Amino acid sequence: MINERTLELINAAIDGELGPGEQAELDAILESSAEARAMNAELLKLTNLMEGLPAQQPPVELASQVLQQIKLPAKKASFFGSGWLPSIQPAAVGAAFAAGLVVTVAFYEISSDRPVSDDAASMVGTMIAGQQEPPGFLKNDMVLNGEGFSGTISLRENSGIYVLNFDLNSETGTEVEVGLDDTGYAFGGFAEVQGNADKVVESVSMSGGTLRVVNQGHQQFAVFLREGGVSSPAPDGSISIDFK
Amino acid sequence: MSNGGRDQALIERCKQGDRRALEELVRHYEKPIFNAAYRIMGNPDDAADITQVVFMRALERLDQYDPKYKFFSWIYRIAVNESINQLKRGKNQQPLDETEVADTRGPEATAHAGDLSRQIQGGLMELKEDYRTVVVLRHFSECSYRQIGEILQIPEKTVKSRLYSARQIMREALEARGVY
Repeated sequence: MINERTLELINAAIDGELGPGEQAELDAILESSAEARAMNAELLKLTNLMEGLPAQQPPVELASQVLQQIKLPAKKASFFGSGWLPSIQPAAVGAAFAAGLVVTVAFYEISSDRPVSDDAASMVGTMIAGQQEPPGFLKNDMVLNGEGFSGTISLRENSGIYVLNFDLNSETGTEVEVGLDDTGYAFGGFAEVQGNADKVVESVSMSGGTLRVVNQGHQQFAVFLREGGVSSPAPDGSISIDFK
Repeated sequence: MSNGGRDQALIERCKQGDRRALEELVRHYEKPIFNAAYRIMGNPDDAADITQVVFMRALERLDQYDPKYKFFSWIYRIAVNESINQLKRGKNQQPLDETEVADTRGPEATAHAGDLSRQIQGGLMELKEDYRTVVVLRHFSECSYRQIGEILQIPEKTVKSRLYSARQIMREALEARGVY
């Protein structure tokens, strides 16, 4: 009959959890007891059988299904306080950013009576270079400064229409993410500056309440926000505008 | 089996709404969570459902995650609890069907391994849920006694005791099935 201590040592050895000195104790037991050796062999075989089974592959679409369903928590947002703009995260830069005086020179023109369409395809506009400052009241702003990356983002309101103005300089492709969840606002349109020779806005996309702008070089653009509703008008929950 | 520092960094980025970090976490934990659920449930469809639920619960409630615990312990705990709850709801305790799961080996090897896997899964399903869980975490998820204790929130002594008893039962069950 195998005693409890022997069983404990055999199991701990199988699990690689023997304490100091216990291996010698087990070796001595195994040497003197055929029953202990048989038990050790059977438990080792059981372990090898289980651990020898290949890991199963999850269904190929599982991860993407999971990712589609997960809505990340968004920070509490307010257009009128200081809480909203700091939720703008230049994800690829990873540097510390500080709020500061706006020096944005985004150029665009927006008419107060211009309707904001729900059709994503009609939302791509063009900003007009030459204006000194975007129209509307400055609500909040943020200066971005990281290695190989600098710029400003400001939020302005004009006759009830909110516009995020981006003025970005990046040496390499940089992704800027703007979480719109819980802001009460959704993506309403995009406009880029005319005549920026070195601009490379690679893409603008909206998915799951997050606006994502990939930028390289010097680029000025504006993102229009509209009140309420879902962030994405497309049936699949996402829209994407590529500028390549 | 885990990288606490990397997980913490990814979680912080997820809290900022970074979907790339989310994708990295999902890709890293998808397979181990699926496999743990698969061995507890004995069925790939249920394992896939549970994996989805686990990620939804874990990643949409990151604010509830206490960083003093390891993320992998937390997500495994959710997986184990969800699997056991599902079993208790009596939805499925059907034997494993290997043909439903992707396998890249040759037909003979697949048939043999599939049969062995079915036998072993049959033995697992004969265990009580608390015994089965420790066996799965130890032998299929490669957790240590301490990690199993953290996941199940039980003392290490209890982990050992359940594991040792479970192995005896498994051994006898497989013997009865002619595997030994």
